[in-house]
Amino acid sequence: MFVHLQGSWNPIYGRLSLHEIPFKTQIIQGAFFFVVLTALAVLTAITYYKKWRYLWEEWLTSLDHKKIGVMYIVLGLVMLFRGFIDAVMIRSQQVMAIGPHSAGYLGALHGYLPPYHFDQIYSSHGTIMILFAITPILTGLMAIMVPLQIGARDLAFPYLNALTFYLTAAGAALVMVSLFVGDFSHAGWVGLIPLTELPYSPDVGTDYWMWAVQLSGIGSTLSSVNLIATIIKMRAPGMGWNEVPIFTWTALSTSVIGVTAFPVLSAALFMLAADRYLGTHFFTASFGGDLMFYTDLFWIWGHPEVYFVVLPAFGIISEVIPTFSEKALFGYTSMAVAALAIAGLSWMVWLHHFFTMGAGPGVNLFYGAATMLVGVPTGVKAFNWALTLYRGRLRFDAPMLWCLGAYALLLIGGLSGIMLAMPAVDYSVHNSAFLIAHFHSFMLLITFAAIAGYQFWFPKVFGFYLDDGAGRKAFWFFSAGTLAVFGSLYALGFMGMTRRLDYIPFVQWRPPLIAAEVGIFFYCVASYYLVRQLYVGLRDRKTRPAGADPWATTRSLEWLTWSPVPAYNYPVLPVVHGRDEWAWRREHEYVDRVPDHYFDIVMPKNTSVPLLLGALSFGLGFGLVWRIWWLCAVTIAGILLVVIIRSFDNHTEHTLSAALVAKLDGGEGGLPDAPGSVNPYPSPMPVPFFAKTGAVSRCADRVASTLREGVVAPGPLGKGARR
Amino acid sequence: MPSRDRPRALYGLALICLCLAGCQARSVWLFHPHGAVAAAEFHYTVIDFAIMILIVGPLLVATALIIVRYRKGRNARYDPHFKKSRVLEALMWGVPIATVGVLTYFSYQAVYLADPYDPTAIPRSLAEKSRPPPTAGRTSHFAAYPRSNGTVRHGPQVDVNVITTDWQWVFIYPRTGITTVDRLVVPVDTPVHFRLTSATVVNDFLIPELVGEIDIMPGMRTKLAMIASRPGNYRGYSANFSGGGFSWMGFTTTVVSRRAYRAWTRKAARAPDRMTYAAFDKIAKPTINLAEKPMYFSRTQKGLFDHVIRRVLTGRVYETPLRMTENMTKPLYVKVLH
Repeated sequence: MFVHLQGSWNPIYGRLSLHEIPFKTQIIQGAFFFVVLTALAVLTAITYYKKWRYLWEEWLTSLDHKKIGVMYIVLGLVMLFRGFIDAVMIRSQQVMAIGPHSAGYLGALHGYLPPYHFDQIYSSHGTIMILFAITPILTGLMAIMVPLQIGARDLAFPYLNALTFYLTAAGAALVMVSLFVGDFSHAGWVGLIPLTELPYSPDVGTDYWMWAVQLSGIGSTLSSVNLIATIIKMRAPGMGWNEVPIFTWTALSTSVIGVTAFPVLSAALFMLAADRYLGTHFFTASFGGDLMFYTDLFWIWGHPEVYFVVLPAFGIISEVIPTFSEKALFGYTSMAVAALAIAGLSWMVWLHHFFTMGAGPGVNLFYGAATMLVGVPTGVKAFNWALTLYRGRLRFDAPMLWCLGAYALLLIGGLSGIMLAMPAVDYSVHNSAFLIAHFHSFMLLITFAAIAGYQFWFPKVFGFYLDDGAGRKAFWFFSAGTLAVFGSLYALGFMGMTRRLDYIPFVQWRPPLIAAEVGIFFYCVASYYLVRQLYVGLRDRKTRPAGADPWATTRSLEWLTWSPVPAYNYPVLPVVHGRDEWAWRREHEYVDRVPDHYFDIVMPKNTSVPLLLGALSFGLGFGLVWRIWWLCAVTIAGILLVVIIRSFDNHTEHTLSAALVAKLDGGEGGLPDAPGSVNPYPSPMPVPFFAKTGAVSRCADRVASTLREGVVAPGPLGKGARR
Repeated sequence: MPSRDRPRALYGLALICLCLAGCQARSVWLFHPHGAVAAAEFHYTVIDFAIMILIVGPLLVATALIIVRYRKGRNARYDPHFKKSRVLEALMWGVPIATVGVLTYFSYQAVYLADPYDPTAIPRSLAEKSRPPPTAGRTSHFAAYPRSNGTVRHGPQVDVNVITTDWQWVFIYPRTGITTVDRLVVPVDTPVHFRLTSATVVNDFLIPELVGEIDIMPGMRTKLAMIASRPGNYRGYSANFSGGGFSWMGFTTTVVSRRAYRAWTRKAARAPDRMTYAAFDKIAKPTINLAEKPMYFSRTQKGLFDHVIRRVLTGRVYETPLRMTENMTKPLYVKVLH
């Protein structure tokens, strides 16, 4: 051992002992029974309906980007629920523990959570919401929609895609296990240094946090690599950079951030791990360590991370608003440039997270100005959305409402963000409830947009509608909750309340805290309606099937294929003619074409290797947390072995014959409608590039060059059209 | 629909009125600064907000109008080809850039006025005090600060060395040798210069009504300066989470007249306890001072502040006990002062 550990250690169990399982804490008992009962219910249901094989073959071992994306989103929603429960507990504790005369329950001095329990809850709330809820949901949406939007059959590396999912899931599992075995970090989601160093966090909580974040961070880096490769190399014939859908643009910007920022986090966490495990002094206050070095590194990742999650949200808004305004997005070029500008500027602003560290006025002024500059492309986006609405024909389906909510939050959060960007203002509200309200404005903007994206693309992926009425009710309650909670927190910020308070020393902060608690009640109602929306949608799925274009006014390429999307996405890869391909085809009445030729499609085979690697990574993380060295050695050896064995497997793909594809697609003598689908729409096909309309001539060269490589062979105009 | 919208708008209006009424309350500390530095910070908060609301407000209103007007079925003008406009796009890039320019100019002013190490707001407020008010009727926060001509005389000032421990505040007055714990006493209208360090983890120094934040870091020294314009008791606390006792880590700042300050100094100098290096070690062990009971020390061993920094740099830590961080059923396993 290189470091002084408080508590016991033995070579078999490491630091683990029965004493580490918090039997005596009633809250954890409750959570434990809830989780066990839920898990039992799910497992029983799977067994009763004999779905184990289906689950294994169709989901867990699948390399289909849509299924992996759905699993990402399910993981994100489960963790969102956990994070929400944490939020409820935080708000309840704060409203119960006001002033020296407030009562204490369950062993707490005030309220019902003793300090270190409360600190774990807010730490896990932040970690979960940012890294295990919002990030997986958005990554899932990107994994599903980007290949569809650019007309590809899958992501560039389907196997890597599954691996990144299981790494994220392993991280999430570590966070969940920390609830029942040992404890979680009490040093915030940012890992406040030197509080995370061994003398001040002698328990395993920080290790849980560190390895969970490390695993999901590696997952995010790799998934960014995957998305960049996909977007650059796999666009459909005819799709130049000017035709890329705007959500894909934001996915590209986000992935550029991901691939450049996440390695910094990994490095910082490895250095922190060295401090905690090997006794080095990277970030200690003593022996030449530099704690602000950690803070720098963390925020060099942390601030781009904010844009990593906000950019896809902007992309979703940019897809939904034009659809329900029945017109094209205003200022496409500005939007794409703005997304890239935000990604670029995200690198220049990290110091605004610690204006108060005592840097000189010049340094603070520079980073303040750079931060305000981020407001420029963000403002451009807001103006563009407003002008997209202008002279449209607005319909207020649930996804549109959620996007408008996100828009309002962008303006509010942007305003408070610019206020915080002024160093002198930041000195007075840094680390206050005002700051909390500011970044929750943005986090909720992302949540609003993510819910909009989920409701918008759900019919595409599953082939039936969610319930619109419940979705709208959820929107109104969610908005009311947001207003109550974060309106109160903005006010509390000006009243001087700081963040992370387990006990509220001043009674004058009570009224806004009560208002915030009422907001939590609205959130509970909203989540009921969100569940109900899904339930009603599932119940009525037979009676409410969605066509290829469920919203009737959609615009980009993904709406051109079947709903639900077949495994191969497009029976024949489409040729792109315009910026909004589907809208272009609708305008030129090419929506009812079917292919006259089909081709063999090469698809990746299912594999359980990513799942195995995820499980081994979880084991490694668990071994590291509890310092069970034999477990670490075994899992590392296992990971290496699995990777090596997999590298000798040359049969990772299988081919769907052209005849089969034709049959599935209903063309060339096949069925009029594909089996398993009640889609009334005829399957669309590439419009021949010899089309007589002028609009396609620009793409003709590119299509021709792709043709020579034998990717796609469109027939002459009109042939095969099903009229 | 409109009949359902009206009460919603009314409730919104009522809510806004309530919020505005709330701002008048004295408990909104940031809106009632009692020191030049806090006043400067608030002044620029208002400017920043005003400029931003000029952009955001009209945009919100315009969007709301668009949403009402272009609702489907209203037969408003529908133009699906309105997706490009050079003029509008130039404006939407230009206006925010210009705004950032203006804000940066104000930010430049503010960053020197409220610079924690050397806030020019303090000499300016002193200069302001020594001459008659420029125009009657304007409130003090919004009055233009007189330009510094470099001739501000340096009057008396108070130095305080601040050390944070887990989870108490140690204030050392190096000139008089007095040390206090969890109680800061300073004279009114006198610049107070702090030097700050931490014996354990990072904290933030904050007295909302008097001065903004500065980090307090172990092994390092930061500085802060403030001035109080009105006698009274002001709440101070840490703004950066520092462990289990963080919520109770407050101190009272008592601002008194200069005469009362001298009297307090004489009284404190008669306190029986002395602050030695060993006494500090005892105080620095994890302790929660629940009722913020102050302690006074009449003499302080020379160089305590530098001693603490040196000790931290050479590896002194005040460990948090494992049974405290792991425990979730009992409040605290540390010394608790009632």
